[in-house]
Amino acid sequence: MTATSQVLSAAPAELPRAHPARAFLRNRIGVVGAVMIAIVALVALFAPWIAPYDPYVHVRVTVLDIFQGPSSQHLLGTDDAGKDVLSSLLYGARVSLIVGFAAAFISLIIGGSIGLIAGYFGGRLGAGLMRFTDFFLVIPDLALLIVIVAVLRDRSLFNLILVIGALGWTTTARLVRSQTLSLRERKFVLRARAVGGGDWYILRRHILPLALPLMLANTVLVISLAILSESTLSFIGLGDPTVISWGQMLDFAFGRGAVSAGAWWALLPPGFAIVWIVLGTTLLGTAMEEAFNPRLRRHHLEADEASVVADELVAEPPVSVPAPSGVATTFAADSAPVLQVRNLTVEFDSPSGPLRAVEDVSFDLRRGETLGLVGESGCGKTTTVMGMLRLLPPGGRVVAGQVLFGGRDVLALDPTELRAVRWAGMSIVFQGAMNALNPVRTIADQISETILVHEPEMSRGEAGRRSGEMLERVGISARRATEYPHTFSGGMRQRAMIALALACQPDVVIADEPTTALDVMVQAQILELLAALGRDFGMGTIIVTHDLGVVAQVCDRVVVMYGGRVAENADVRTTFAHPRHPYTQLLLKAFPNVGETDQRLRSIPGTPPRLDALPPGCRFTPRCPYAFERCSAEVPPLFAVGDDDHGASCFLVVEPERAHG
Amino acid sequence: MLPGDPAKAGVKDSRLNAAAIEELRARFGLDKEVLVDLDGPNPFDTQYFTYLGALSRGDLGTSYAFRDRNVSDLIGDALINTLWLVLPSQALSIVLGTILGLIAAWKRRTAIDVAALAFGLFMWSLPTFFLGIILLFLGANWFHLPTSGRVTLGTDYASFWEAAGDVLRHLFLPTLTLTLVLLGEYLLIMRSSVLEVFSEDYILTARAKGLSTFRIIRDHALRNAMLPLVTLIAINLGFTVSGAIQVESVFSWPGLGDLTVQAVAQRDYPVLQGAFLLLAVAVVIANLLAELVYGLLDPRVVEA
Repeated sequence: MTATSQVLSAAPAELPRAHPARAFLRNRIGVVGAVMIAIVALVALFAPWIAPYDPYVHVRVTVLDIFQGPSSQHLLGTDDAGKDVLSSLLYGARVSLIVGFAAAFISLIIGGSIGLIAGYFGGRLGAGLMRFTDFFLVIPDLALLIVIVAVLRDRSLFNLILVIGALGWTTTARLVRSQTLSLRERKFVLRARAVGGGDWYILRRHILPLALPLMLANTVLVISLAILSESTLSFIGLGDPTVISWGQMLDFAFGRGAVSAGAWWALLPPGFAIVWIVLGTTLLGTAMEEAFNPRLRRHHLEADEASVVADELVAEPPVSVPAPSGVATTFAADSAPVLQVRNLTVEFDSPSGPLRAVEDVSFDLRRGETLGLVGESGCGKTTTVMGMLRLLPPGGRVVAGQVLFGGRDVLALDPTELRAVRWAGMSIVFQGAMNALNPVRTIADQISETILVHEPEMSRGEAGRRSGEMLERVGISARRATEYPHTFSGGMRQRAMIALALACQPDVVIADEPTTALDVMVQAQILELLAALGRDFGMGTIIVTHDLGVVAQVCDRVVVMYGGRVAENADVRTTFAHPRHPYTQLLLKAFPNVGETDQRLRSIPGTPPRLDALPPGCRFTPRCPYAFERCSAEVPPLFAVGDDDHGASCFLVVEPERAHG
Repeated sequence: MLPGDPAKAGVKDSRLNAAAIEELRARFGLDKEVLVDLDGPNPFDTQYFTYLGALSRGDLGTSYAFRDRNVSDLIGDALINTLWLVLPSQALSIVLGTILGLIAAWKRRTAIDVAALAFGLFMWSLPTFFLGIILLFLGANWFHLPTSGRVTLGTDYASFWEAAGDVLRHLFLPTLTLTLVLLGEYLLIMRSSVLEVFSEDYILTARAKGLSTFRIIRDHALRNAMLPLVTLIAINLGFTVSGAIQVESVFSWPGLGDLTVQAVAQRDYPVLQGAFLLLAVAVVIANLLAELVYGLLDPRVVEA
């Protein structure tokens, strides 16, 4: 599930992920929260030294001392008992922090244990524990708190902490359970179990350390709740009467006429002290959660226009490659291409500056043609198609190039024009259709919706009929059209996605790893289906894949990508028979050939380059067996091979003698 | 079993002699055994079973503190007052919180979002009773709004409308307090829920299909994002019966929360029992409603 989401987000896999601690430090909100807590902690620690009076010492006061406004003697005035508000305020920090941290610690222990056990062992035990948790979750905690505290014989701070802690664990338990559930299925845990690791050992050594960061983030939030609970109880008059807390200060001042006396100084300081510490813990906890939970960083609705820097496109002519004679960017056109990608270049923001995920990618697509976009993971295939469709995730943008479709540059369209081109002109089947369909709307509804957006004159009934037809075309009975996506199997959802992609009869369909998550039989069916539909409708089809078997089965042309650039571009026969780029050659050797049994499979040593450490010159140099000086000095352009429409970006094309030296 | 003998707490008079106390105890049935009486002629002639028997006839007993007042009547009056306060606050804060949370998430990291987030976090950190005190302070000293109770005591109203106006003026500050507090909470939940939905793959599909941002939000994001909010609203509606405790206690609004706090202070156990029985029923009903609404919004639930 996470794998599909990552690919869908189109962020290149090798994009460096900031370490959580660094992400946390960059998060100023969290730092502000930590500083706010630290200030209260210092005040609490040094209260006896910095407070001008000791609020626990009883002194005789007269009526004249009560509710005195701020003065040089009493910086924050005096309260209902004539005591110094500032001193009580400083001492009150102690109670808040003690209650907050101690109660949250109790909650962490209870909630953590329940969550770990329920998540790890699951079954009836887990279900029972979660029932128990849900039960506590729906009880209004303040009401329960009041009743329990009301019947306590001894309202000591210690007892209050126990009660608040014992009621505050539910969110922790739920969070830890869901974390444990997903960790339990991870490879290293399965491996630890396979080699005979005991349950407690696995829980302690493998699951707890990984669940801990989010647990702690949650606990910081529980601290804020505990502090709020204590002050509320004290305000209602159910706190520990022997200690001075902010809630109690408010209770006494409010209950004894501070409002009618206009004594704001007795009310605002303790109140805002509570706000201060609760806000501090909330900010810190939220920042920690965000730092440890990377999922929350994606956002698919950030404005369309943000993904393209239109001004730059105009300012800078999109020709970054000096065109030496014989460069194969234009092919002998027997039919005019429906889509022309020219010098597409995509960058992603990163802490260390912009990273080039795709550079200078050009290719053509004709009607009825199926083009395979091939390469190892992280070669920029998905980023290329997402860039073409202007669907890059936040932080990614097209910095140069053109995507010519129907005589216009898609990258220069305004949002309204772009919406008209989307789907009706170019549609896409995302990888892992599991989550690409909205779970709360029926399949038919989602297909008709698309048709109606692009053909508003069509009636609802007509759109519904067309949806049914489309589903029949991909082998799904029209009767099932009114079902919800969760009732479909993975293969059926992928077919439904294809039906959706074809619903507006687009000129170009892009299928991004359309078969990765499916079993082999379904894979074959879906690929045949795509290719057949492409021919029938006269569309251009782009299939993004790392699987050369898929390419051999359905593609007419192949564009091989490496390190964000096009390595080779040729028709499928040439690609398999006479590959000219060493990367293509090695890729083919790494692919099992059913015909030749004697040939040994060889994987390519090394890995694709990281975007933040691209080699100079040809990106394949570090892994290339033929590399010579020129390769690390210059970036090879796409050289024409022979007079076919075959191109390879390798200097060996123009200096073939180097292959043997 | 519970601390403090109500017969003593209810009558704070040291001159009260032992015979009178015994008489009080007999009147409230406190001379009986608590659970089962194995020595007596009828083992079920006890405090607990007497209570159950009365409960089955809809009788919640008699208050200790407000003598001679029926617990059912006390709680019924308080419940109506609480609903007057809570329902408008809930409705207002749900509508405003949903809209503001949605806009904040949509315009993530813009000034609107930062302002909404700051407001939400501040409201979340502000103890309800403290917000109540601030508004009470301002309302009383600057706007001369009534700050306590449901009506101005000792007034003769010329008409029904005048009486209603007086109640509404009393209702203003408590409602404002509760609305602001709930608004902060709903806004934060809605914002994070919408952000979560915006990160889903089907939103990317909707965008790739060429839907306008408005349509994506209306047709694909809103319903899915409402799901967590429904749960929260249900839990809060369960709170309704007890949750206005802080606001009611600041503004002396004679609702259930205020009644509960008084009952706790006076050890008025019949009233407390009645209040919590009502709370339990309300929580169950609210959660049942939430399940039903959830089923309408999310087709996956019906299957489960």
